[in-house]
Amino acid sequence: MYRLTSVTAVISHRQPDGDDTAGGPSSHLLDATLRCIARWGVAKTSLDDVAREARVSRATVYRSFPGGKDALLSTVLHVEVHRLLDRIRATVEAADTLEDALVAAITETGRTIADHAALQYLLANEPELVLPRFAFSQLDELLVVVRAVGAPLLARFLDSDLSAAERVAEWVARITLSYTLSPAPGVSTADEAAVRTLVKTFVLPGIANLQGAPAK
Amino acid sequence: MLEAAYRTVARYGIAKTTVDDIAREAKLSRPTVYRQFPGGKDAILREVIGWESGRFFGDITRAVAGITDLADLLEELIVVAGGEMQRHEVLQKILQTEPELLVPLLVTGLDRLIALLKPLLLLGMQRSPIRGDIDPDLASDYLARMLLSVVASPGTRDLSDRAAVRSYVGGELLGALR
Repeated sequence: MYRLTSVTAVISHRQPDGDDTAGGPSSHLLDATLRCIARWGVAKTSLDDVAREARVSRATVYRSFPGGKDALLSTVLHVEVHRLLDRIRATVEAADTLEDALVAAITETGRTIADHAALQYLLANEPELVLPRFAFSQLDELLVVVRAVGAPLLARFLDSDLSAAERVAEWVARITLSYTLSPAPGVSTADEAAVRTLVKTFVLPGIANLQGAPAK
Repeated sequence: MLEAAYRTVARYGIAKTTVDDIAREAKLSRPTVYRQFPGGKDAILREVIGWESGRFFGDITRAVAGITDLADLLEELIVVAGGEMQRHEVLQKILQTEPELLVPLLVTGLDRLIALLKPLLLLGMQRSPIRGDIDPDLASDYLARMLLSVVASPGTRDLSDRAAVRSYVGGELLGALR
């Protein structure tokens, strides 16, 4: 059993110069690790397997994963979540309307998760390694990051009201996680049309009502 | 036996609870316990969680019985569920030490909530209508998800603060349906 480190604890250890490869695994090594996990899962993937898949020495792998096997999933999740946040930032910045921004953010996440072979393997076979990191107090911690990253991105659509923007960012994150990890019939967060319906049905009307209500 | 297991875990915590402890508390022999739960301690724990969450939902359903106004109902659901979770020693212990045990609950909990909410929603909609374009099934599914999410992970909200809860109910919950 692995000690469950929160995703956010791992994110906040990101290198200040923004280069997550400094002192950590290279993207080549990470991709090799993801291929192993997609094939065998975390329990059955050893650092030796990663070395073999990446065609590097065991020493290289052990140096890149100083936390050892236990930290393998945390490290990988760290980088993957960061990559996703960067892509979300880009799509939201390119959006012209709030509706497009929210649809882009949710769809980007839904597609990333649906297409992620390693994550899909874990969700199917080792869900206990992934789901708790996005539930209970670990979700609370992730939401801190979501609000911090999301608020400045959404503020331009919300009269620069950062408080409302934080609330919307958190709301959209909750919706995304819930519909992605516990799918509803006919609603795939990877399907733009379905996501647009969700956003237009629930979120946009809610935001209109939010801006009347006192934020907490 | 499940009640005995629950009491044992409450007393000693999960890590320190043994099948022997449970058998002793239940006044049964070890072989009897193992015959019913060949999976041992893990199997017992999973059963206890299922049983306890049934009781939990029962408590909450009773607490909101008779509330017909939809906003009041949702507010009460959040305050009661949030409070019960905070006060729940065994749940808090599990969250700290073995949260992966609760993973199945996240799925069954959602289904239970949807089943609970749908009739209450239909009733509430007779008095405080939601938008005509929203299907009640879709609405109760959405509400259940957002309820479960905030109760399990309140974020920075204090779920015993009714003003904060009402704000969530008026915004993310009913605000979305109006």
